[in-house]
Amino acid sequence: MPAPYAFTLALRSLFREKWINLLSVLTIASGLLIISLALFTVYNIEAATGRLPEQFSMILYLDNGVQKETVDGAVAALRKQSAVLSVRYIPKEEALKELKATLKNSGYVFEGLDENPLPDALEVRLKKEALGEEAVRKLAADAAKIKGVKEVDYAAKFLSALHYLKVGMQTIGLILIVSLGAGIIFVCYSTVKILFYRRNDEIETFKLLGATPSFIRTPFLIEGAVIGVSGGVVSLAGIFAFHYIVLLRLSASMPIFSMILFPSRLFLFLPFAGMFLGVTGAAIALGRLKY
Amino acid sequence: MLEFDDRSDMMIRFDAVTKDYDNQTALRDITFSVGRGEMVFITGPSGSGKTTLLKLIYSAEKPDAGTISVDGWETGQLKESSIPFLRRNIGIVFQDFRLLQNKTVFENVAMALRIRGVGEREIKARVYESLKAVNLRHKADAFPKRLSGGEQQRVVISRAIVAEPPVVLADEPTGNLDPATADGVMRIFKDINAKGTTILIATHNRELYQNSGRRVIRLDMGALASEDRT
Repeated sequence: MPAPYAFTLALRSLFREKWINLLSVLTIASGLLIISLALFTVYNIEAATGRLPEQFSMILYLDNGVQKETVDGAVAALRKQSAVLSVRYIPKEEALKELKATLKNSGYVFEGLDENPLPDALEVRLKKEALGEEAVRKLAADAAKIKGVKEVDYAAKFLSALHYLKVGMQTIGLILIVSLGAGIIFVCYSTVKILFYRRNDEIETFKLLGATPSFIRTPFLIEGAVIGVSGGVVSLAGIFAFHYIVLLRLSASMPIFSMILFPSRLFLFLPFAGMFLGVTGAAIALGRLKY
Repeated sequence: MLEFDDRSDMMIRFDAVTKDYDNQTALRDITFSVGRGEMVFITGPSGSGKTTLLKLIYSAEKPDAGTISVDGWETGQLKESSIPFLRRNIGIVFQDFRLLQNKTVFENVAMALRIRGVGEREIKARVYESLKAVNLRHKADAFPKRLSGGEQQRVVISRAIVAEPPVVLADEPTGNLDPATADGVMRIFKDINAKGTTILIATHNRELYQNSGRRVIRLDMGALASEDRT
């Protein structure tokens, strides 16, 4: 079929069945908007948890009276590890000073303390990408074997919680995307199926006149694409409206909301996603044409 | 077996064709042929198998036994993907018209050409020429509902011939028409046939073929009862 004529047929049908098509567009837009909000949430949690590792460090307590050469050897050994970002030596005097500064309101705990009970230590910061639970556990085990290292301490529970939070959010996001994506395909499928049944006599006549399956299918696929793209554009407008009307106004009155990121480029895929889902639904609805 | 073989001089050939519907025989052991450029009537009472015979020609039905050849196409062996291309060689005048009610007369006739991928300029010229042949040029912008039965029938004929197919099939083309209008429709068929198009008309209206000098194939309860010239 010449493409302009297929478009003419599709546009005529879109106009003729405007109410059912409008309803489909709004349903698809709602689905895509929910997907966008889920993505928006996951993105922000990813960004927030992505900043947490900057605070993470591993502390290696050293043996009492450890020699400077031993400390230097331990530092060198740690720096050779690919996961290590930086190593800082904390003499026990500095550690006590930091502790006193931290507990300045509870200074009585240091009363009667004749001797510094804290050991010398090494503070190890890790590279962001190395902050997996397993990798950190392995590094801790390796570090414990270094000469002069008495004990290794790190926030294992924090890492584990971070890991499960990320996995949980990604799973919820994935479930939402898959289920709502399937829902959108079903909406397009139903719409095109209804349009197809309504035009069944016309299609039968086309077949008898010698129309090929592609001649019959093309206008329906265009309709599916237009419905999907329209849904995508409406959802895009919806997510930007959410940004400008809700987020920006809230940020103005409550600064904490200004920390929320709005990945506007990420949402530009919505019309394309709508088109893909619309065409997929239409293609499934048309199935195999029988002659 | 070949799907297409254009070596034959015969436009349509049935060889021992049988067609059953749910264990009820619609056509039984039918053998006949129609030469290129011939105009033949298929006649018989209602339920004798006339419409089934036409459906077998344009591959809306498959034979249960026997072979059918149409302009070199072995219709019984056709893959589904080839059926549209067979049908482009056949103009069909349906008993129930099958006009698209939401399209104008022009658009209805043009559809036969659009399906074949003909360009817009050529469509315009050929559709008006075809409508002129059935004396409906002035009704090009009308919708089918606004036309009389005879006019609708002529639109269907116009659509069947606009692509100049080598074969035209007509199923009860004068079924709902008064005698004068029926005469007009038959004159159109004769004109088309005079230009070399093979025409097969299924009808139970004796007046159409009586004294026409054409070959008449008579069916009775799905069997070929007689084949003679009137």
